[in-house]
Amino acid sequence: MNILSMSGFVPEQICDTVRFTQYFGQRNIASYCGYASDFISQVMGDQNIDGAVYPKSCDSSRIIGSYLEMCGKFLHQINVPAGTDHAAVMFFAEEIRRYQQQIEKHYHTAINNIGERIALLNRRNREICEMYDDLDTLDYYAYIENIHKNLQRPLCEQTVGDRLRQVHRTGKRVFVTGSFLSGIEIARIIEDRGLKIVGDDLPESGRLCSFPETKDTGDVYLNISANIMGRRLSPTQDHFNRILEADLAEIKRKEAKGVIMVIQKYCEPYEYLYSIYKAYLEAQDIPVLKISLLHSEDTQKAELQIEAFADII
Amino acid sequence: MAQTIIRIQTKLMKEYYQYFSKYAKGGRPEGKVAWITAFAPVEILEALGISCYYPESYAAVIAASSMEQSLLSKSEELNLSRDCCSYSCCIQGCLELEEGPRGVPPKPDMLIATNNQCNTLPNWWNILAHRYKVPLIVIDYPGDGADRRTAYHYVTAQHRNLITELERLTGNKLHMDRLAELVENSRNSVKAWKSVIRHMKDKEVIPTGLFDDINFLITARCRRETSEMYTMLEEELSRRPLANQELLPVFWLGYPLWYHADRYLSSILEGCRVSGSNYITWWNIDYAGEDLFECLFNAYNDTFLNLSQKTRNERLGRLIRESGAKAAVTLRNKSCKCDFVSARNIDIPQVEIDMDMIDRTILDEKAARDRISLVRETICTG
Repeated sequence: MNILSMSGFVPEQICDTVRFTQYFGQRNIASYCGYASDFISQVMGDQNIDGAVYPKSCDSSRIIGSYLEMCGKFLHQINVPAGTDHAAVMFFAEEIRRYQQQIEKHYHTAINNIGERIALLNRRNREICEMYDDLDTLDYYAYIENIHKNLQRPLCEQTVGDRLRQVHRTGKRVFVTGSFLSGIEIARIIEDRGLKIVGDDLPESGRLCSFPETKDTGDVYLNISANIMGRRLSPTQDHFNRILEADLAEIKRKEAKGVIMVIQKYCEPYEYLYSIYKAYLEAQDIPVLKISLLHSEDTQKAELQIEAFADII
Repeated sequence: MAQTIIRIQTKLMKEYYQYFSKYAKGGRPEGKVAWITAFAPVEILEALGISCYYPESYAAVIAASSMEQSLLSKSEELNLSRDCCSYSCCIQGCLELEEGPRGVPPKPDMLIATNNQCNTLPNWWNILAHRYKVPLIVIDYPGDGADRRTAYHYVTAQHRNLITELERLTGNKLHMDRLAELVENSRNSVKAWKSVIRHMKDKEVIPTGLFDDINFLITARCRRETSEMYTMLEEELSRRPLANQELLPVFWLGYPLWYHADRYLSSILEGCRVSGSNYITWWNIDYAGEDLFECLFNAYNDTFLNLSQKTRNERLGRLIRESGAKAAVTLRNKSCKCDFVSARNIDIPQVEIDMDMIDRTILDEKAARDRISLVRETICTG
């Protein structure tokens, strides 16, 4: 079983998946998210991948299955609720149960180690949190690269460790936000231009750290749902004001001088969020730079934009 | 008869637009005002005396009045990318400049968005909520991919919550018999509209009128007059002559071009006639069910763009077969990713055209003409 997964909404507590990071894909769909397009390419082209799981949370992700329908591999879409209230948590719990059932059915297997996985995940997430709290003393590129490498491994082989603590950079303090940071080279470019990333609202980092632990007693599906729904919000969950407030609080607390939003071109949730985010933060004298990437490996325009932004702040 | 149809349409339009800034003279609707998406459960809102306005629909009116370009540019200045849905870009520009053929709609007291056509609309409604500082309620419809029973309970919980919230915001109490009456009106409107559009296949009916007339099914579907008007329209169409059988029947697969005088590529479809369209069936929603909550669940959970690819393929395949079309003009709408995949697995030749339903600069008319000519020649000489 080698399932490629997209998004932090796919519950790691159920089974191991390979988290999609980046892929050189031939597929190019006009006016469509390059990250989702590369995900589709990897599912279709990578012989090591035998299945795909992805959310229904934005317009690009909701039609992934239509492009993959003839690939003959295991396909599963998880409905991600728009809200976070009790009804949404209950519904998402049922979606997680359905996900497990579909895997068991397709792969003729029984999943009976969710409790153990929760313990492992809680430990891993606590370690990520500890590093996140120490970002001031870390090389952010090494930090995020470490997370990405781990997300592609089976849970029992994931080791976050503390070896990253040796590296230390200083610079103008910035906060990074956006969708999954597929092109992690951006982090290196940012820090090479004299900027220091002191916090983020990325799904694999700051958002994960906002609610790292899953309860291990009671209804396990409800617990997993409550954990994922309880994190800082993605714009796909339709509470922009809560995102603005949470980000601003952290930006102020960490004394960041600017914000870099790294998104994929044609990613509407972030494009809509950006249209108010920029004005909201600039009213607080915090400049915002948007970097819009064409696909999962793209970094080509970022260098110049970041250099100019570093001068501004 | 035609006079009566026009009289009802004029009455419905006059009532809808009377509080737009160009006509309102400072007046406002008596009750609360909601801005809602096109597949919101409007019956609940109307039953509570809320006046509902449809920004998407107004964007179409703006484009039809050739006012969209300056508004699209304005929204881009406001940091909303032109890659986003043109309905939203057009309206954000309109609200900022307070310019539009009928001015701007009355300011909302609340915003209601649904994700049963796409996820973009709730995102757009978030920036509207930020602009007007009013409550936003997003209703989440899982579609036919989720477990049916789970989805029913989830959606019904949200509908009940919507009622509670709206009762609180309006101070009114929802009466179930009034809701039942409005649902029945909507059901009748859908039924009458279905009888109208079936004439597209055989009669001399161009799509322009249907693309415009479906507006009443969107903005006034729970009004009693809507089904009356559609019934008269059906009678009128039934008396039309039969379509010219010499013309090649084609299926219009996608949105109308709202900026185009005929709403479709009339001038480059010489030798063809449009015998079917999926857009005009999108609001043929099915209010089936034993109680009102079940009716509302079935109607709003199973909208076309919220269906799985398999169900979409079946539904679209049936529509195309019924239309007798020999080719399809398939529109890849820059603004609507969810419609990108509607045309998969259809078994008639397709002409794919990149376009946008609002932004006229996206369409390459020459390329479209060449492609249509090629397919027409292939079919006619094949």
